[in-house]
Amino acid sequence: MNDRPDARDLLEIARYAFVAEVLPAVPEALRYTALMIANAIAIAQREIAAGDAPLRGEYRRFAGLLSGNAAVPDGDALRAAVEGYNRRLANEIRAGRFDGEERAAMLEHLRRTTEEKLAVSNPKALVDPAGK
Amino acid sequence: MTFSDTSTRQRLAEFVARAAGGHGAVIISLERMSGGAVQENWALDVKLDGELRRWVLRTDAKATVRESLTRAQEFAVLKIAHAAKVLAPEPLFLCNDLAVTGRLFFIMQRLPGVAAGHKVTRDSKLVPDGGSLARELAANLARLHRITPAHAGLGFLPTMLARDCIAHYRSYLDTLSHPYPALEWGLRWCEINAPQHEDTTFIHRDYRTGNYLVHDGHLVGVLDWEFPAFGNPLEDIGWLCARCWRFARPDLAVGGIAGLEDFIAEYEWVSGRQVAPGDLIYWQVMAHLRWAIIALQQLERHLSGTERSLELALTGHIVGQTELEILNLTGAP
Repeated sequence: MNDRPDARDLLEIARYAFVAEVLPAVPEALRYTALMIANAIAIAQREIAAGDAPLRGEYRRFAGLLSGNAAVPDGDALRAAVEGYNRRLANEIRAGRFDGEERAAMLEHLRRTTEEKLAVSNPKALVDPAGK
Repeated sequence: MTFSDTSTRQRLAEFVARAAGGHGAVIISLERMSGGAVQENWALDVKLDGELRRWVLRTDAKATVRESLTRAQEFAVLKIAHAAKVLAPEPLFLCNDLAVTGRLFFIMQRLPGVAAGHKVTRDSKLVPDGGSLARELAANLARLHRITPAHAGLGFLPTMLARDCIAHYRSYLDTLSHPYPALEWGLRWCEINAPQHEDTTFIHRDYRTGNYLVHDGHLVGVLDWEFPAFGNPLEDIGWLCARCWRFARPDLAVGGIAGLEDFIAEYEWVSGRQVAPGDLIYWQVMAHLRWAIIALQQLERHLSGTERSLELALTGHIVGQTELEILNLTGAP
């Protein structure tokens, strides 16, 4: 077993030190880069915190939408299965299979998936100041 | 390019004197300006026959983007836009001779003002009346859209109408190892709702906040003429009004500076072309598709190792925002 603290704790304390101590002292010319570093660490933290829960949820929705096996696989098999489902969905959307009555279910799936993705990439984008 | 060695500067001074028809030119200063991942802009102060001139020298950066024009083509586009009374820096001299600086470049007028999107959308001293600025942007865009495919000297531009855009973006997605169903949905929606008839004019294809200079509250010039085409003029309006270019003010549809009413009324008045609400939504969807494709191209440069960069890497994480916007605009629940 690795020595403690783990990746999650290290990222948290590294970002804290960076934002509290380094960022205020960074010259203007490097400020944009410094903010990007803080952002990249925050995205990595959220990805670790979410674990594979979003991927499992996406798999379950796919099994409903595309009539697949409801038993969720683990690890690499889960990742490969979701990737395969996404490929199939992309192809079928392009071919027009979701133009008609299945459109609403497909859009609901895409919205859920996109929102889960944004919860990691950029949670602020989920708060809509302009309304829809 | 550094221009730091005196022999390069000397050759540049000789070129300037010859191109301007002057007797002698002395370079007073030459400094790299901010921005421009694709092209480099250098602020160039020259004493030409004793008189100080303030110019911009524009040349290729290392990172070239597929779809961008050559410097010679961009120079030709700027000449024609300037002659059509479109507010833009006046292009002055093109240098096709690699012996001068080692790269192709052109020199243009240096306009005053601020372009940075977060300042233009936030600083009320810079933009005291956003509606007025939006009307100037509209009238300027209408003048730009008077340039048509019949125009001599622009034969190198591609034609990109709605269906061409859809085919082009799909062919790019087909090169990627990862699928993007939400983008496929946006493209399918654009295909189902494609316009029956389209006007074809010169379009800028990057006419947005961040790419024009504002001085004392007024539009002084549009920058970044690297990606023009012949296409549907509504594409430029959708791009300017897309959520992704509103910076600090996502509530203001016209580039984060004003609501739609001022802009659309002025554009319709000057251009004589109608912009229906449905047209605007259609081209806002297309704008987000295009931005997503550009973001994916930038991400690929990082992932492939062509150009490892934190900025390019983080660009991959804005794709979700464009997808959410596409879902919102196409009526997802």
